[in-house]
Amino acid sequence: MSTAPGWLRGDSPGLTLARRSLALVILCLLLLPLADLEVTAAAPWAELWRMARGLAWPDWLALENPLHAIALTVSVALWGTFLGALLGFPLALLFPRSRTLRALCAFVRAIHELFWALLFLQVFGLSAVTALAALAIPYAGIFAKVYAEILELTPRAPSAALPAGVDRLSRFIYAELPLVWERLASYTRYRFECAMRASVLLGFVGLPTLGFYLESAFREGRFGEAGALLWIFYLMIATLHWWGHRRLLPLLLVAGLYWLGPWPQVDGALLWRFVSHDLWPASLLAGDPAGLVAWVRDMPDLLPAIGNTLLLALMGMVGSLVLALLLWPLASRHFGNRASRGLGRLTLVVARSTPELMLAFVLLLLLGPSMLPAWLALALHNGALIAFLVARHADGLTPGMSGLPASGRYAYELLPRLYPNLLALLCYRAEVILRETALLGMLGVATLGFYIDSSFEYLMFDQALFLLLITAGLNIAVDAAARRFRPREVPVDDPCSR
Amino acid sequence: MTLLHFDGDDLGHADRVVLPGLSLTLARGQQVALLGQSGAGKSTLLGAIRARLDPLAAWCPQSHGLVPLLSVYHNVYMGRLERQGALANLLNLLRPNREAWQAVESLCAELGLDGLLRRPVERLSGGQRQRVAIARALYQQREIFLGDEPLASVDPHQALRLLQRIQRQHATSVIALHQHRLALSHFDRVIGLRDGQVQLDAASRELTLADLDALYPDASTSAAATSA
Repeated sequence: MSTAPGWLRGDSPGLTLARRSLALVILCLLLLPLADLEVTAAAPWAELWRMARGLAWPDWLALENPLHAIALTVSVALWGTFLGALLGFPLALLFPRSRTLRALCAFVRAIHELFWALLFLQVFGLSAVTALAALAIPYAGIFAKVYAEILELTPRAPSAALPAGVDRLSRFIYAELPLVWERLASYTRYRFECAMRASVLLGFVGLPTLGFYLESAFREGRFGEAGALLWIFYLMIATLHWWGHRRLLPLLLVAGLYWLGPWPQVDGALLWRFVSHDLWPASLLAGDPAGLVAWVRDMPDLLPAIGNTLLLALMGMVGSLVLALLLWPLASRHFGNRASRGLGRLTLVVARSTPELMLAFVLLLLLGPSMLPAWLALALHNGALIAFLVARHADGLTPGMSGLPASGRYAYELLPRLYPNLLALLCYRAEVILRETALLGMLGVATLGFYIDSSFEYLMFDQALFLLLITAGLNIAVDAAARRFRPREVPVDDPCSR
Repeated sequence: MTLLHFDGDDLGHADRVVLPGLSLTLARGQQVALLGQSGAGKSTLLGAIRARLDPLAAWCPQSHGLVPLLSVYHNVYMGRLERQGALANLLNLLRPNREAWQAVESLCAELGLDGLLRRPVERLSGGQRQRVAIARALYQQREIFLGDEPLASVDPHQALRLLQRIQRQHATSVIALHQHRLALSHFDRVIGLRDGQVQLDAASRELTLADLDALYPDASTSAAATSA
């Protein structure tokens, strides 16, 4: 007779993953006392009630002609994605061959769209050029990576069947591209949805998209108007497959050119001065080492900021993990009835469609400035997104034993099959979560993003660039760590996870 | 006339030898049937023959190697992809070349694929795909035909017609197949593989169906097991 093994003892893959996740949760709990989680708002419930009322009874009449904001939001998202794909596709072909290119792509996508916008704002002002560059540049980096991953999975058989001597281009166009076209298109569609969110967010730095009106409505407590704007956004996302139909896209692209105008006069001398002079510390350009030391010493204290950034990212990861575990059954066919599933699916779609900055902004108004609203926003947005994908995966599974109670179905039949995938999705999101963490600094949470935002505010572009470089480096390091942590056996071929 | 000659060669993939020390000579003007269980090394042998004969041989692979999203016409056209420049191939994708279209159309009509030229291959049945793969190999218009089970998913009546069509165009062929009767009636020579060795290599008129059964050990052992 042998004794039964103790808690989490054993070397089955499920237990290994469970131990690994638990270690992550424990690490987060240990570090939690370091985070500032105070609720400082005087009457959060009263405020929440007013917001809920605004969302439930939107004040449509308060909107002053939202059509221009809607058209601009769509045009920016569409052209940003289009230009990003146009740049990213040729890069994807070179991606496996060039280490420099891979590093460059990692760098451009490590910086959030909004920070790119802040950078371009200095040169191109509040114009469409700023908006498009802010989207197209990081997206080119993302497309290059994801397209390259998709192309790598091209089935080889058709290409091997070709006669010898077929030129490279013909081989690619006939026997490779058609085999992955569907995946490339579906990822591009997903990225367009992300671009819609990013386009709304650009309103937070002053570009007149929907986010601009949303922010001022929320800030000034006009919740009825904010509710109406949010409804418009959700409706746009929900009907995306309809108005964003393949056949309508060329028409939308052409119309977008009109809505994006007026185009700014680009001052070449100013642009050059910004790139060659403003972005660099004066002492570096003058070749003054002592001045450079002083410049570094004048930096805000970066260690706490980096610590906060990493801590918030860890908290965001763990929060997303817990929420995803709790939420996915809501939208899965294995649980509940038709009504509960419909409601669950709607909740998840709303939570994942709401831009995370928007979510954090609202929570911040409710709870006061601390890490708490940022944490909740990260966990809600990413947890819902992962839960949605896991529920879709679960719907493809058939339980082996019928008639189990719900808890048995969850713990014995479904979760063991879904968990490796769930954890892998979470690790893919690590990069995104960290990028969002920095972004939340714009709302006053003391992460790196906070200092980047204030450097731009005080026109200290050299300092802003330096901080952006640090952020990007941090992102690349965290992505590498997450890749090691990720369960290796599961191929995550759902491109919508990134 | 000798076409190619293996002399104690080790054939296989990157690091795994499938056919060790293979010696075999193929001659022009012979129709050769290649028999053996799956896993016996037929595909490896055909791959090696293809590599040696490359510009002479038309190739019909086991997995068809078709592109599901492209139409029947484009899949067949791919047989001659190397004879046009990249630009012409690109244009043909947007607007089929008139002469190529007619050539492919008459070829497809012969194989019972008429009216399907515009249909994407993903919407075809298994037998239809098989015939598209054969059409592509015929469209290559090479001297020799190499086929890895090109008759696997068509009915017996069609298999005979397709085989006759292939052999009418090619005086020399090496075809892997499972239909023993066809191997004896329509080929000059039968090569039988078993466990990576050439077990049988003889003129088909000297062979009987019983000789061919010896290539399939499972069949004979399971028969022995049931009798015992």
